[in-house]
Amino acid sequence: MRVDPRLLDPAAETYPEGLRDLESPPAVFVTGTMVVAPAIAVVGTRRCTRYGVDLARAFGRGLAEAGWSVVSGLARGIDAAAHWGVLDGSGHALGVVASGLDIWYPAENRPLYRGVLDGGGALVSEYPLGTPPDRWRFPARNRLIAAVASATVVVEAGETGGALITARLAAEMGRPVFVVPGDVDRAASVGCNRLIRDGAHPVLGVVDLIEELELALGPAPGVIDHEAGLLPPQGVAVEDLASYWDCSVGDALRRLGRLEASGQVRQIDGMAVPEGA
Amino acid sequence: MYAATMSVALVGGSVTPVMVEAHVGRPQEAFKLTGLPDTAVREAKDRVRAAVASAGIRFPNRTLTVNLAPADIPKGGTDYDLPIALGILAASREIPDPGGAIVAGELALDGTVRPGSSALGAGVLSARLELPCVVECTSAGQAAAVPGATVFGVRSLAEAVDLLRTGFDRARPADPTPSSDSQPLEDLVDLRGQSVARRALEVAAAGGHHLLLHGPPGGGKTMLARRLPSILPPLASDESIEVSLLWAAAGRNRDINAPPPFRAPHHTASKAALVGGGSGIPRPGEVSLAHHGVLFLDELAELPRGHLDTLRQPLEQGYVSVARKGASLQFPAAFQLVGATNPCPCGFFGDRRRPCDCRPAIRERYRSRVSGPFLDRFDLVVKVGRVSAESFDGPPGEPSERVRARVVAAREIQKERGGLNVHIQPDRLRIGGPARRLIGTALSTFTITARGADRIRRVSRTIADLDGSEVVEEPHVSEAIGLRGDWGES
Repeated sequence: MRVDPRLLDPAAETYPEGLRDLESPPAVFVTGTMVVAPAIAVVGTRRCTRYGVDLARAFGRGLAEAGWSVVSGLARGIDAAAHWGVLDGSGHALGVVASGLDIWYPAENRPLYRGVLDGGGALVSEYPLGTPPDRWRFPARNRLIAAVASATVVVEAGETGGALITARLAAEMGRPVFVVPGDVDRAASVGCNRLIRDGAHPVLGVVDLIEELELALGPAPGVIDHEAGLLPPQGVAVEDLASYWDCSVGDALRRLGRLEASGQVRQIDGMAVPEGA
Repeated sequence: MYAATMSVALVGGSVTPVMVEAHVGRPQEAFKLTGLPDTAVREAKDRVRAAVASAGIRFPNRTLTVNLAPADIPKGGTDYDLPIALGILAASREIPDPGGAIVAGELALDGTVRPGSSALGAGVLSARLELPCVVECTSAGQAAAVPGATVFGVRSLAEAVDLLRTGFDRARPADPTPSSDSQPLEDLVDLRGQSVARRALEVAAAGGHHLLLHGPPGGGKTMLARRLPSILPPLASDESIEVSLLWAAAGRNRDINAPPPFRAPHHTASKAALVGGGSGIPRPGEVSLAHHGVLFLDELAELPRGHLDTLRQPLEQGYVSVARKGASLQFPAAFQLVGATNPCPCGFFGDRRRPCDCRPAIRERYRSRVSGPFLDRFDLVVKVGRVSAESFDGPPGEPSERVRARVVAAREIQKERGGLNVHIQPDRLRIGGPARRLIGTALSTFTITARGADRIRRVSRTIADLDGSEVVEEPHVSEAIGLRGDWGES
């Protein structure tokens, strides 16, 4: 696959914020459009069940629609389902992979890789082009997922596996970890249920997950989107925004700043104009 | 016979002692003046001779040599008249040696002392050297307002002679004058509407940020700018003295209790008027008169580009170097810049009521007259539009006094941190996670450049200070982005 990655070292302005919390933040290769919102990791086992796949896809879509970026490993199973869900919700998908950015592994997920890049998402890797997805690289990749995401959701996990490593690393970094409970006698949920027994937060569905995330991280970033749509195409004078939105001048400036930061609104000669109008 | 009197020279806005040495030689009439005097000082010979005669004292008919030391400092102005006169009289043993005092003042031919520009400098030197000083009596109050100065005011040469004959310890020093009735500052209360621009003005005042106002003529850009001093904290005593000395060096009088200076040179002002210069000994320009205060440049795009370039040194370093035939000097020039500009030559681009007649190419050229690097100096850019009819009928604005209270509190916090936010190193700031993410987001969407991100960080630090917050949080950054409206997009 032809990709043209850029190398970001920790000194770069657009270096993923969460990675700075790692003990020694690595330089990373990036292709596509980088994070425009805090990211939530959705991870799980490759040997998943229908229950896990459906749930992961619903989570991916729900998180995307709420405005969060969704991080996953682009692996078979839960990872892929979550990112397909992001594409369903036209959200931002961030794939953190254990190979060079031109090696799209596993082959069955190539359409997903393409979809992530075409949908305005991004791929991140520590490794240069051409690096094969060696088994020993996966735990290192999981550490990036745990760091880049503001919270981690484990959908299905067996007794051992990468998802549990990601969950442990995330918890060690002080990031909230949410876990989907499953049948106590099902192999694909043993790891999840143990995490819950050990004190992880159980999550009971998409709405529940979003509420819990808002409690932990603050309002979902997508809340702002609707307000951008409220500005007429010709724009509103910055001076008049407070009365337009019926809020204080300070609130209007802050809301304007957020809309500008996320690229939804531009200031042109004293007017706040929706982007693309 | 020899006597030495101390006087004062203003060099680049700071004060240096000058020794006025007088020697009275053989009985043959001659008067020599040495030590790099300018024309005004050389003319002192004639004024001194007339003034001494008018005071009823015998002028020695002998060879007089007066030397102003150190010789390498250029001396100008007329305030060496009085020390020269007293020196000559002391050297010819008419009066006691005034060696222990600092003397400055211009003499009229009738023997009266005229108010000069060195009185404040004499006061500063008096405090520094712990010596009494003698100056013209109406300026004495200002000089005495310098903490630690002992000042004696005299109306005439005769009074000065009497003072020396009776001795300083038996005379009464001048009282410091309270501030003279300076004009009250224009108040923000008269300004209706413009809530965004008012907020930008407050943030600019709190952090010392340079502010660019743009918008159609008559929108109130100048009204806003003129009200900035009314929300600035009063100058500290040493700062105010520094400013007044610069004004004195430019031959102007400034009360040392006055509010921070506000200077608004016209866009046709010469470079020398702007940054300092003139023939002979350089005088401070507008950038130095605005030291510790506000320099307001209206019609920024009308200023010759060379003028803007000369502002780079003071904006970066807080002082300006001026080289002239007479001397090469550095003047302090740490001012807060407020720029104002129309959107286009006709002024009506973007106006909701009047169409703009300018062709796009003309508009583009107008905007490009202010270079990008210069625009980068402005941490805050805000549009000042026409005030709508409703706002005119609306409630009056918040009075300056209340805004100033918030500004003063925010500046106190910065003082403890070690300096105004406009000078802060953005990478040293404590910025919270969500706030950093918002900056990262704005960078990734190309809303701001890396340089723009530094401006956002500085301004959000000031907004956090106004908010009393130790850490820069997301609402501070988002407001800073909202206050970064751009000029130059069309």
